[in-house]
Amino acid sequence: MPWNILVVDDSSVMRAIIIKTLRLSRLPLGEVHEATNGQEALKVLDGNWIDLALVDINMPVMDGEEMINRLRQNPATVDLPVIIVSTEGNETRKEALMQKRAGFVHKPFTPETLRFAILRTLGESDEQKAGD
Amino acid sequence: MSKRLETELYKAATLTFEEMGFLLPTSEIDEQQLNAQVEAMVSVEFKGPFSGTLLVRVCGGLLPILAANMLGEEDAPPKSLQYDALGEIANVICGNMLPSIAGSKDFFHVGAPKMTESIDLLPIAEVQVGLGLGRADLLLFISSGPVLTE
Repeated sequence: MPWNILVVDDSSVMRAIIIKTLRLSRLPLGEVHEATNGQEALKVLDGNWIDLALVDINMPVMDGEEMINRLRQNPATVDLPVIIVSTEGNETRKEALMQKRAGFVHKPFTPETLRFAILRTLGESDEQKAGD
Repeated sequence: MSKRLETELYKAATLTFEEMGFLLPTSEIDEQQLNAQVEAMVSVEFKGPFSGTLLVRVCGGLLPILAANMLGEEDAPPKSLQYDALGEIANVICGNMLPSIAGSKDFFHVGAPKMTESIDLLPIAEVQVGLGLGRADLLLFISSGPVLTE
């Protein structure tokens, strides 16, 4: 079954790059939704079935960390798979995010890197998902 | 100029241009690349144990190619998107360069990229990357913090 993915980044260029890379990653994609900050992303999640969120950290209005905190406090989204997509290099901050059950993809990234991170986060094996 | 800073800056820049812009650096910079006219400049400010600015300028027709590659489009996107694309390149280069210089324990805040005319400081590191028929220049300015030596 294809996965519905939410891409959250305040940069329209970065969202376009992530979506292009997703399409190159040979994963079974369903609907791809976009949001420009955490607050907007929570609204998208309220009205749509999302299998995975790819989230930037530094965003105006509501950053990625706060967004993940809200997700984990809401029974409807407490288990939503999340991957942080960022240039963050600080190990302490990365570990803090991973403790909130978020995966991590470092920018820049290749389709293979993104594919591997998504499969690992969703608990799928590479053989199972040859893409479409 | 610090050789170590220039090495780290070059590594971060070539990785970013390759993986985000699908542009491979040329092994040498030829005369045409060297004489290419500046098309656009963006800067990214950072604050942390040391603070400063990274300036990225592209020359010789690179900007529309870079933006089209990044967005996966055949034609050049509108000018505003081309500048946004260059801003993202600068942001990612800066985000990769800082931990390679300072280590992964220090925290830096990296600001939003902005179009820039010039910076009234002397760069502490400066590298050129040959890309296609053009080139990218990267200049690192440090405004406060400890002296970054070899």
